[in-house]
Amino acid sequence: MDLASLIDDRPEDGVFRVHRAIFDDQAVFELEMARIFERGWVFLGLESQAPGPHDFFTTTIGRVPILVTRDGDGKLAGFVNSCPHKGSRLAQTQTGNARLFVCPYHSWTFDSAGRNKNVKWKKAGCYAAAFDADGHDLARLPAFASHGGFVFGSLSADVPPLAEHLGDAARLIDLIANQSEQGVELVPGGVTFTYDANWKLQLENCSDAYHFTSAHPSYIRILERRREAPDASVTRSVWEKDAAWSEETKGVAGGSYSFPHGHVLNWGRIAPSDALPLYESVDRLAAAHGDAVRDWMFNMRNLTIFPNLQIAENASSQLRVIRPISAGRTEMRTWCIAPKGESAAARRQRIRQYEDFFNPSGMATPDDTVSYENCQRGFASRVEPWLQGYARGIGASVAGGNAFSDPIGLSPERSVLADAQLCDETLYHGYYREWARRMAGAGAA
Amino acid sequence: MAAPLTRADAEELLYREALYLDRRDWDAWLALYTEDCVFWMPAWRDETTPTADPDAELSLIYYRGRRNLEDRVWRVRSGQSVASTPLPRSVHAVTNVLIEHADAASADVAASFTVHRWDPRSERQHVFFGTYRHRLVRDGDEWRIAAKTITLMNDVIPTVVDFYSI
Ligand code: FES
Ligand SMILES: [Fe+2]
Repeated sequence: MDLASLIDDRPEDGVFRVHRAIFDDQAVFELEMARIFERGWVFLGLESQAPGPHDFFTTTIGRVPILVTRDGDGKLAGFVNSCPHKGSRLAQTQTGNARLFVCPYHSWTFDSAGRNKNVKWKKAGCYAAAFDADGHDLARLPAFASHGGFVFGSLSADVPPLAEHLGDAARLIDLIANQSEQGVELVPGGVTFTYDANWKLQLENCSDAYHFTSAHPSYIRILERRREAPDASVTRSVWEKDAAWSEETKGVAGGSYSFPHGHVLNWGRIAPSDALPLYESVDRLAAAHGDAVRDWMFNMRNLTIFPNLQIAENASSQLRVIRPISAGRTEMRTWCIAPKGESAAARRQRIRQYEDFFNPSGMATPDDTVSYENCQRGFASRVEPWLQGYARGIGASVAGGNAFSDPIGLSPERSVLADAQLCDETLYHGYYREWARRMAGAGAA
Repeated sequence: MAAPLTRADAEELLYREALYLDRRDWDAWLALYTEDCVFWMPAWRDETTPTADPDAELSLIYYRGRRNLEDRVWRVRSGQSVASTPLPRSVHAVTNVLIEHADAASADVAASFTVHRWDPRSERQHVFFGTYRHRLVRDGDEWRIAAKTITLMNDVIPTVVDFYSI
């Protein structure tokens, strides 16, 4: 397969096109697992998912089951969640607490630091000396690090330090992590859903300002219905006062930033308002971090840390982990992410706003995922194999940052300043340039 | 004095609710609920426990007030939600109806459900299953739903789940 022929990237001609095969060719998918997911930094979870000694959580890197566990001294580490004996998965729940992991198949036992503590009936086993020469501990992730409580790991040691991988996108994680002095947590009750389409449709949709008024008019109208007759039974919305999403809004409404290694942000200006649960901290955050950082914490922000983490702070606050299953199927694990220690009233408001918009049982996400599935059907065509969805904003994209990134010391590789109707599509270029580089076999560095 | 709810009364009401949803008779469905009703489908805290405190934990759906259900009905009628157009076909089967508490004014009813859903657009079918708990209150000669809790057992959602398929 000639991967280079699947991304038509010619900046000098003002052309950026993506071939439909990247979404529905299973051979492309297998390479993505091997070269992107199983050979580079992948988001695993939050430190607060395993808060105390011997707490653990499980996840995956590509197709590989992963165990993240905190040992008795409080140190967090990542392992392949597979017994060295015959491969059985050890931890079988999403979270838990275990001093010892006893393998359910033949009872080999490991402590919360991944060390083998027992091989059942070892003496009687008549092992050859070569067996003792082997280690029997759990396979440790060759790279494991966190930033601001966000934990990442890699199945390959051939990765740059996490700080280099994240680059300035780390500043955008900080805007979430620093909303409380105690850090962030996941609200109890995760929601998992699947859709029958490629994982990169979710990658793109999070950054897609163009679809909002087209895919979500029913949600927008319902916000209007509530605004016309407000009462205690209906949830307030970040968009009830601020018309940042409205196509009528004039002036700079937001834009996008692209960073090396495929991380991108699209954002919209939202003034601090009491419709936002964070409003109770509006003064404290300014005092602690300055007005510029505080204002950014209230802006609408959709952040992707390539390849599998998205944090959407718009209608509410969502953390999403993208888990590709096949070229045509994806699983999404989603949570409401929230600053620790916020008031009960703020937490309730955040949860209500979240359920309405983000849940697969809510009033917005299903209109996205059904569209992904419609796209996936359409991708079967090779009559005109090149997609035209990467061209908006090419005339507006500039190298470096702008007057909005400078005050918080954010130095993106490229940026676009947008009015309400520009709806930049050049931020996807960041995804696909990194995709092409990694698929060509470049290390994650 | 008004008589407490019988199991026959409970079955009549729950079967009617199922029928109205499957017939897309949304107005009749909404009329079964009190104005201040609670409509709640918890999420799951972990493998074994559904969330229990809607103010501190996430739910799949949580509304207090019928107007929120009216909004959901408005959305599927609006033609402005691609996920709801065309609507999938469904059949609710409600079973194991038991009265757990009943007095002259109110009753708590437990039941089980399966909803078979066929989505012609995606050529996909799915069975959602779980339990209901209805709190019913007397309103003159009728019983109305003051609260409904839907515990969805298979909670990995295939693309979409909405009020009409649970
Ligand atoms: S597979 Fe774990 S002890 Fe045999
Ligand atoms: Fe959307």
